[in-house]
Amino acid sequence: MRLLLAAPFALANLAAAALVPKAAPAAAQLDFFEQRIRPVLANKCYKCHAADSEKIKGGLLLDTRAGVLAGGDNGAVVVPGDPKNSALIKSLKWVDKDTQMPPKEQLPADVIADFEKWVAMGVPDPREGDARTAKAVKPPIDIEKGRQFWAFQPPKAVAAPAVKDTVWPRTDIDRFLLAGIEEKKLKPVADAEPRALVRRLYFDLIGLPPTPEEVGAFVVAAARDQAKAVEAVVDRLLASPQFGERWGRHWLDIARYAESTGKERNFTFPEAWRYRDWVIAAMNADKPYDQFIREQIAGDLLPAANDAARDALKIATGFLALGPKSINEKNREQFRMDLIDEQIDVMSKAVLGVTVACARCHDHKFDPIRQADYYAVAGIFRSTQTLYGTDNLGGKNRNASALIPLGPAPAASAATPESKPAAPSVTDLDARLAKMMAADPKRAARFANLSTAQKEQLAKRFTEKFSAPLAPPTKANKRKGAYAMMKGAGPKTGAPQCMGVQEGSPTDARILTRGEVDQPTDTVPRGFVQVLSTKTPPVIPANASGRVELADWLTSRDNPQTARVMVNRVWSHLFGQGLVRTPDNFGATGEKPGNPALLDTLAVKFMEQGWSVKQLVRSIVTSRAYQLGSAHDSAANEVDPDNRLIWRQAPRRLDAEAIRDAMLAASGKLDLTPDPSSFVALKGDAYIGRGVKPESFTEYQSSKRSAYLPIVRDCVPEVLDLFDFAEPSLVVAARDVTNVPSQALYLMNNTFVREQAAALAKRVLAQPLDHAERIDLAYQLALGRAATPPEIERAQHYLLDEARGLVSVKGGDKDKASELAWTTFCHALFACAEFRYLR
Amino acid sequence: MNTNRPYECSGITPSALTRRELLRTVSAGFGWLAFKGLATAQAAADSRNPLLPRAPHFPAKAKRVIFLAMQGGPAHQDTFDYKPKLSEDSGKPGVAKGGGAKLFGSPFKFEQRGQSGLWISELFPKVAEHADEMCLLHGMNTDIPNHPQAFVQLHTGSSQFVRPSMGAWALYGLGTENQNLPGFITISPPLQLGGSQLFGSSFLPAIYQGTRIGQQRADVGDASIGNLKNEDLPTGLQRKQLDLVQAMNRELVAQGGANPEVEGVIESFELAFRMQGEIPKVMDLASESAATKAMYGIGNKTTDDFGKQCLMARRFAEAGVRYIEVCHAGWDQHQQLTSKLKQNCAATDQPIAALLTDLRERGLLKDTLVLWGGEFGRTPDGRRPDGRDHNAKGYTMWMAGGGVKGGLAHGATDDYGYQAVEGKVHVHDLHATMLSLLGLDHEKLTYRYAGRDFRLTDVHGRVVKEIMA
Repeated sequence: MRLLLAAPFALANLAAAALVPKAAPAAAQLDFFEQRIRPVLANKCYKCHAADSEKIKGGLLLDTRAGVLAGGDNGAVVVPGDPKNSALIKSLKWVDKDTQMPPKEQLPADVIADFEKWVAMGVPDPREGDARTAKAVKPPIDIEKGRQFWAFQPPKAVAAPAVKDTVWPRTDIDRFLLAGIEEKKLKPVADAEPRALVRRLYFDLIGLPPTPEEVGAFVVAAARDQAKAVEAVVDRLLASPQFGERWGRHWLDIARYAESTGKERNFTFPEAWRYRDWVIAAMNADKPYDQFIREQIAGDLLPAANDAARDALKIATGFLALGPKSINEKNREQFRMDLIDEQIDVMSKAVLGVTVACARCHDHKFDPIRQADYYAVAGIFRSTQTLYGTDNLGGKNRNASALIPLGPAPAASAATPESKPAAPSVTDLDARLAKMMAADPKRAARFANLSTAQKEQLAKRFTEKFSAPLAPPTKANKRKGAYAMMKGAGPKTGAPQCMGVQEGSPTDARILTRGEVDQPTDTVPRGFVQVLSTKTPPVIPANASGRVELADWLTSRDNPQTARVMVNRVWSHLFGQGLVRTPDNFGATGEKPGNPALLDTLAVKFMEQGWSVKQLVRSIVTSRAYQLGSAHDSAANEVDPDNRLIWRQAPRRLDAEAIRDAMLAASGKLDLTPDPSSFVALKGDAYIGRGVKPESFTEYQSSKRSAYLPIVRDCVPEVLDLFDFAEPSLVVAARDVTNVPSQALYLMNNTFVREQAAALAKRVLAQPLDHAERIDLAYQLALGRAATPPEIERAQHYLLDEARGLVSVKGGDKDKASELAWTTFCHALFACAEFRYLR
Repeated sequence: MNTNRPYECSGITPSALTRRELLRTVSAGFGWLAFKGLATAQAAADSRNPLLPRAPHFPAKAKRVIFLAMQGGPAHQDTFDYKPKLSEDSGKPGVAKGGGAKLFGSPFKFEQRGQSGLWISELFPKVAEHADEMCLLHGMNTDIPNHPQAFVQLHTGSSQFVRPSMGAWALYGLGTENQNLPGFITISPPLQLGGSQLFGSSFLPAIYQGTRIGQQRADVGDASIGNLKNEDLPTGLQRKQLDLVQAMNRELVAQGGANPEVEGVIESFELAFRMQGEIPKVMDLASESAATKAMYGIGNKTTDDFGKQCLMARRFAEAGVRYIEVCHAGWDQHQQLTSKLKQNCAATDQPIAALLTDLRERGLLKDTLVLWGGEFGRTPDGRRPDGRDHNAKGYTMWMAGGGVKGGLAHGATDDYGYQAVEGKVHVHDLHATMLSLLGLDHEKLTYRYAGRDFRLTDVHGRVVKEIMA
């Protein structure tokens, strides 16, 4: 496009160039141009006046001699030899407001003087070519200059600033924040009430509400010593297995975790759940964050103490295999490069908070990332084999792959595809089909008319899965469907396998012109993103993909971004917004941090404390700032409506999982045992929309925690989808918070919500209490606080009134009417705003 | 709508509330009005219902918008921008990226249509019958030739930042006429390419975001807004339950320090309650006559889905919804253009024509602005045979109804359709013009956020007066 749009200008330039006689300028004059003029043009003018500017302003191009002489929409800009009558000089001198250049910041007087001198010399300018070749003379991205950008500078810890109010701060975090607040002549609001605080801590740390007993105990303890009470609760919650389910899910947003390919043809990933469980376990074990990253990039290449540890390391690399895929792509090379692109995108956004993938087609438009950097990293992934499985029933899948076997390695070469166990014969398959017929004739019927060739293909596809003995047709097996059984899906049948990556044949990638797979140009050695490169980047051996080195580079203490990005994310989960509010984009188009010194200091400390996420969480939640109340303050709101200074804890809506889990917790139905696999694993390989209905995922019901709900791309469970779940095809570091009528309709009418309300009603009615006490108990279970006397009175009126009205609905049965009235009352507690907001 | 009285919330008269102040009452507590001593009956009413109709800045030509979003970038050279020279030079070297591309003359025939003689391709035979009602904008251009950025910019004005969508701005500016329906409805939008940003409210109060019905690639016949009925409670008793919920919500607001969102929650529950009565009626196409359904192509496999979308759009328009968007995807013909483009046009031609006819017959076309187009156009040459690539520098969108001149071709691209050379209309200009047709001054429709007054058009936008009737 760039060349196309430049065409008319190019013509004009050529014409102008033809008219101006070429008197060869003296070498000294050209030196003057090179040293004094060209850098200024490049830095100050090309943004709007070069052939490849985003938007060419005023039709003026200053990136070639021809362009300078041709002038722009308003005519000539220079009269060679006559600075006084040159519009360029007038613009630089800001004579006229409408034409002042650069528009926002005037150049220093000596630079303007240089330009006058240059025009007086007759505009010596060696830059050849018309606009079409402008790109060739455009200076390449200046990496050294790029490094000056805040995000590419290593974080530096600084001492907490002095504050006037020395009593308020509890930790250094408080001092950093208070300094900013005091600077604006503001004050933080009052601390949170203990009840609000304990509710906040529970939801933030484990994603569940405290029980009434836990609230009561905290209130008593806090009255004695609030700081100590908080520490005790925090330590207990950090040690709880629910911590990993909550914080693991935060990472799964980043890892765009899902159990299907998404896109045009949506095929399931029945083994994806293993990665989910690995993440939860890693969070619970407080696996150091650098190690956490290293294992996801190169786990398969790291030493393991035993088979279980080796399996875990293989599963960790699922991070690179879980991405959305155009499984029907005809062009293999295109599919491969798209897969690599997705890997680069998720890796760079998730770990580095920059968008390296922008450089697939061209140098990054905004950040100092070259196209060559992209292909250096691409080479690493090109030397890597990505194994994600998927099925080819129906032949719609053009890009299925094997999976990685788990369990003890029978031979050293077990992981290579060549050494798969022999495919079962068609006779075997027939035997199995016969057994399946017995178990579930209806579902097996679809296999009845397969041709031998199809059977052979089928048998080959599921080689590993068939190697396990077929489970007897139990009742449970029948329920899951013989289909799944035959595929060996689910954790209990078939040899366990996982998604992930392993070494391919090491090779460097070629730069693709505009990212087009059929236009390769120069080969780039495997490597890393230069602007982020550490002092001594690891050297990639010729016989390795470079993933180990990539992992080392990503997690090096010299890498400016890794720690900062994670610290910012943890912060955003505890304050509702990050110190940088664009948590997956720290680049030029992202936002600058609200409190850079605090961010940097936390990042350095994070690394010094062994990259411990739990320690980091602990240090934040034990600050006074975290424990602030949510009161509104007009003065502060006027100055800082977005609460960037953190003068309060802005109220926050619970996220989708917490809303659902809190209903289950209040109803008493919550099943805290982890799901042993996933509904998707039970379904097995499937093409969604063909044989498997999307509704089986969107309407999936379970009483387990939301972290275990099936996450199929484009078929996310309704409750998650409605309340702004992370789009599972994208790296999502900060979810949206919307408020739309469809959410209200869900809370008012959805069956799941009504069922939980009925269970809560049953729960309180089962207690030997009077009505007022039951109302109070319902408040405690749902909202974590006692009901006030007016609230109890209002509820009593409501119950009577509604029960009266429901008598006719319930066919005259007053007891049933009364019970339903209680259900609708409990339902109201789930629907009210207080239920889903943290104060 | 009485459009003669001065806009009382414009903030021009010092004593009046600004639109933004009104909204702040919604977002900062009901007590705010009293606190500021600015309460008036109207303002108080408005503050309780930010969706009530508001007078525009100046007399409006259009009351509502139906945006037919063609996602993917329809090739203007093959549809509405006749390029005989391109056909003549077909096969000659193009100037596209990397070289090697060849100019690709349209494989489709063009004909002059209507009294106005607008050139329209054979791909849109039925739409072409409305030529005299159509205003072709040949000078469209946008910033970035990439789908997600351009599609988001088409919807929000910005490709870089999360900003309120055009529909949200319209709703913020004008409210809506039917309080029982969402004021901004988007049917079958893509869930990627910006996803909810495309109909989001960003910093505008959440009540202005669009309500999504269905999603791209899913049959709109199955689409619904779920959970419209409570199986336990008859409506009257559910109202009592809702009263209890709202009483609790209002107490939360009154406690101070409440999230501005809580007031949004109150609004959205009320809207939801009204919607559950109204939406099933409006979305139920069964009450339409067989002739109407046939006119939209419903029941015919090719046109069924988009026909339903268009008919639903007409029903929503008729019911008083302010801003309606329907979407047809798959206009990204880098290859197989001849067959794929034909399919797209076949799927949309009859439904769009039916929509225009239907609106006209019901007297709605005169104040309904219909907008057709994608996020950009396509190049006259493609790197692959039978294909065209992305082109942000020149393409065609068209408008009909709502106060635009019919039978007008405004602006032009060069001989090949490379770029707009005359009557250029940038996306910002499009937005400014749409707001203007709705009676809103794009420079005055502002919302203060984080210390700055934001506009849909940022610091850009020129109202294209030339196309106004």
